[in-house]
Amino acid sequence: MELLTALSIGLLTAVGIFQMLRRNLIRSAIGLIILANAVNLFLLSTGAYAGTDPAYVNETITGQRSDALPQALILTAIVISMGGTAFVLSMLYIISSRYKTSDMDKVEGLKY
Amino acid sequence: MSETTLFWPILIVFIGALFALIIGLSPLRQRLSIPLFATLLAIFSFSAFLLDISTWPSLNDGRALVWQINWLPSLGLTLSLYYDSLSALFVFLVSGIGTLVLIYAGQYLKGDENAWRFLHYLLLFMGSMIGVVMAGDIITLFIFWEGTSITSYLLIAYKSKYEEAREGAFKALFITGGGGIAMLAGLLIVAHVAGGTDFVTILQSGEALRNSNLYPVMLALVAFGAFTKSAQFPAHIWLPDAMSAPTPASAYLHSATMVKAGIYLLERLNPAMGSTEAWFWLLTLVGGITMLTGAYLGLKQNDLKALLAYSTISQLGVFVMLIGQEVEAAFKALIIGILAHALYKSALFMVVGIVDHETGTRNVTRLGGLRRAMPVSFVLATIGALSMAGLPPLFGFLAKETLLAAAVHPTFSPLESYLLASAIVVAGALLLAQSGMLVYETFLGQAKDKSVHAHEAPWPMLLAPAIPALLSLTVSLPNARTVEPYLASAAANAFGTAVKVSLDLWTGINTPLILSVVAITLGSLLFGQRAQVRAWQNRIPATVSFNRVYESALRLIDAGAYWATRLQGGRLRLYLAIMLLSMVGLVLRFGATLPLVNLLANLTWPTPTADGELAILRIFSLVFIVVTALASVLLERDFAAILAMGASGLGIVALMVLEPAPDVALVQVVVDILAMVILVLALARLPRPQRRKAQELTLKLKSFRPGLLWDGFVALSVGALVTAVTLTALVSRPRESLVTPYFEENAKPLAGATDIVGAIIVDFRALDTLIEISVFGMAGVGMYMLLRYAARKYGDVGAQVEELPAPIQRLRSRGIGGAKTSSFVHALAYFSLPLALVVAITHIMYGHDQPGDGFTSGVIVSLAVGFWYVVFGYYETQRRLPWLKYDAQMVSVGLLLVVLSGLLAAFINGTFLSPLNFGAMLALPLPKGFYLSTAFLFEVAISLTVVGSVTLMLNTLGHPGQTQEEAKARLQEIARLEEENEKQAKG
Repeated sequence: MELLTALSIGLLTAVGIFQMLRRNLIRSAIGLIILANAVNLFLLSTGAYAGTDPAYVNETITGQRSDALPQALILTAIVISMGGTAFVLSMLYIISSRYKTSDMDKVEGLKY
Repeated sequence: MSETTLFWPILIVFIGALFALIIGLSPLRQRLSIPLFATLLAIFSFSAFLLDISTWPSLNDGRALVWQINWLPSLGLTLSLYYDSLSALFVFLVSGIGTLVLIYAGQYLKGDENAWRFLHYLLLFMGSMIGVVMAGDIITLFIFWEGTSITSYLLIAYKSKYEEAREGAFKALFITGGGGIAMLAGLLIVAHVAGGTDFVTILQSGEALRNSNLYPVMLALVAFGAFTKSAQFPAHIWLPDAMSAPTPASAYLHSATMVKAGIYLLERLNPAMGSTEAWFWLLTLVGGITMLTGAYLGLKQNDLKALLAYSTISQLGVFVMLIGQEVEAAFKALIIGILAHALYKSALFMVVGIVDHETGTRNVTRLGGLRRAMPVSFVLATIGALSMAGLPPLFGFLAKETLLAAAVHPTFSPLESYLLASAIVVAGALLLAQSGMLVYETFLGQAKDKSVHAHEAPWPMLLAPAIPALLSLTVSLPNARTVEPYLASAAANAFGTAVKVSLDLWTGINTPLILSVVAITLGSLLFGQRAQVRAWQNRIPATVSFNRVYESALRLIDAGAYWATRLQGGRLRLYLAIMLLSMVGLVLRFGATLPLVNLLANLTWPTPTADGELAILRIFSLVFIVVTALASVLLERDFAAILAMGASGLGIVALMVLEPAPDVALVQVVVDILAMVILVLALARLPRPQRRKAQELTLKLKSFRPGLLWDGFVALSVGALVTAVTLTALVSRPRESLVTPYFEENAKPLAGATDIVGAIIVDFRALDTLIEISVFGMAGVGMYMLLRYAARKYGDVGAQVEELPAPIQRLRSRGIGGAKTSSFVHALAYFSLPLALVVAITHIMYGHDQPGDGFTSGVIVSLAVGFWYVVFGYYETQRRLPWLKYDAQMVSVGLLLVVLSGLLAAFINGTFLSPLNFGAMLALPLPKGFYLSTAFLFEVAISLTVVGSVTLMLNTLGHPGQTQEEAKARLQEIARLEEENEKQAKG
């Protein structure tokens, strides 16, 4: 199971990076979101317990609870990456209106 | 002063600096004349001086006072002070001469509006300098050391409108600052070997230091730092250029204090690092060469200050040379020399400053015959110059006698003695000639330039050089002997064992005296023939100038910077690839690796049990996630790619459900949809031709480009790295959490929640969450600002034009992109918003016990709003939901609410954001499972912030067109769609 999880996270990262390296800016934004997903998956897999029940305080729960800590971290990470994505999209729009293109290689404002 | 009050001298001087700053910035400055102001400030340095001399006697038994506070205990860093006789001697010079220089500076800068700045810097420098000589560990030493570099930069560059002042200051900073960094590196190695950063430990581990393999490295680095600071050859070039400073600064920094910091450091470390062959040769050679170079070049100068600067370099060389020796007599000579030099050199500098101030020049070819106009200055200059020349009965004579006595010490071989003594005699003769020149060309003879008019300076200005000049004379007084034990103790601190110091001027006819007579005779000859000698000196071209080395070093740095910036080609994708590959390289090079065998042994495999069914679902989800993500690469249309990405996100939701992590799954599902909505809106914002062009660039399976190989390589190597890291982390992770059990146990009793994740979010880590939603809110506001800015800059019309052009008016009730939407979809939209509100409210109310929280509820409402945007279009949505206009207000009200409820809890419970149950406190009849608590308020606030922020995003991205071009393009597109629709209706 570990091997499969690790492989999936690795592949997801690779796809995210590959997308970020596209010239089409929309694809870069997609890559960013996929990358964030990969990070969240990684966080999830760091949980200490292989839980069978959700992390609730409840008498009826008898099995092992899943680890609450990484879940809380992922919640925060999801929110922040959502904010980041939205911000990146607005930058994408500005790039498009300033350079009149959505081709990343035509963006040359950073040239020394 | 006792050990606990050791910091007072430094503190007092810094308080003085603060006082100078406050007065300088306040209107009080107009009322206070500069001389009076400076005298007031002198009280601070004089207090430090009094503290110093009151403590010095108690240190004569070789004791050291140590004071320290733990600064960063986890790193073993302390802020500490170390105060023994050697420190006391230097504090004596720094604060004593500092007091005189302050009074002098007040007179010198009379009438300068900004003089308070100079005085402020001077006190800052003084505090740093006292810090250097009292530092108890290497970090404290380094901080104060750099402090002197920076403040001296400010002092030298005081007359900043002159280029030479700026360049001189930069040169000093560049050389001494560079040396300071080398010194820090060296001292860190010293501390590493000694096993502690404090001087007590370092001084005790001399044996370990000298025997260490790293000894040559630390010696080279530390000596480099000391040599640059103390202007040793070939780093001496900064000192003459630093003479562009106002003379009070030169008199202070470049005679008595800053240049002695390097000397002090070598003295301090000598007991631990000295007495080795390397130490002896390095210090003797560098010091000797510096001594001769300084003395030789000094005679060449026409500028009086330059002459003094070179003689200072020569003198500093003498000190370095003496520290290199392993004999008691050398340290006797060293301490006497330091004191004598500080006295006569500061007096001479100040007199030269007076001459410059009163005549307007300090060029010996224009001065002359000033003895009548400036009799007091003449007398003071003569005393100082005689001391510098080493003539009896002045202090300088004693210094030279002891120096020569050290050189002919019986421990040296005859050859060594011969070389040392003759070098000292030559340098002494050159210095004598310079001293004579200084007095003769300035005060005696006839005036060379009739246009130079002179008059005597006011008495307070003369007082400052008078005191050190007269002190140079007091060595001949019988009660001068009372200071002997003080100096002996200071010398012992530098030497390591006891040193006998006597201030006897007459020790009988011996070798030093004879050598002294030789030096004086030779010097007199040189003085007599000075015109010829100087002419001869000027004929020799300066073939090797270290200034040229310095300049080419600067040019090299400039060129390097130029080429480094040229490398920035602006190719963003290349930057990204380089960063990622560097990361991979760094991990491969430095990352710890787990043996592969262990890795494989610890793997678990899914087994066909009841648990196994879940595992199969998990495997399915993982495969789904990866395949859909891959599809987002391979699908050619952007819109399809966005959908594939959304599907991949939903796969993650499934995985979260299987974990089981219901809270996360819920947030992930709404965020995934929101991300898709926003992406589609952003896509719709891009003009169609642009999109089409970008589409052509998209990867197509049929057409293969070699660049893809590169991208694939980068992506796959990062992916492989992440796989390896994840696998290692997963296999070696602990199966016991340290933190989670605490949350599980305390969620109910402390936070009153059954949802542990929710309790962590709004309670245990509430501050995190506050920051998190602030970030989210800022993202929304930031987007708005960015787009407004872009709109202003690139010609936005839509933002200002309230009245829409008629064709757009007509399109009001059309969906995004002008597409017609059916009544069925309209009805769905009508229902979705109230439904979303209900769901949101229940989420907030019961989030503590059930999956879901404020964030989810906020996103759900926003999604319904987003749906409206898609169905009805921007204008219609805005018209029907007028509250959408208050987006930014929602963000701020939300954040304010969190802070207020947190503060309320702080007020009642004493802890910010701690839980409070108002419902229970006020005994309100509330439905079961609902608590009116701070957590509830928090959830409401989060929800508000999220709705506000997402609305901001939607409002900015959903706006149909902000530029005229865009609006025109949009209209054309809609007209085309209309036509198509009509055709379809007909056909």
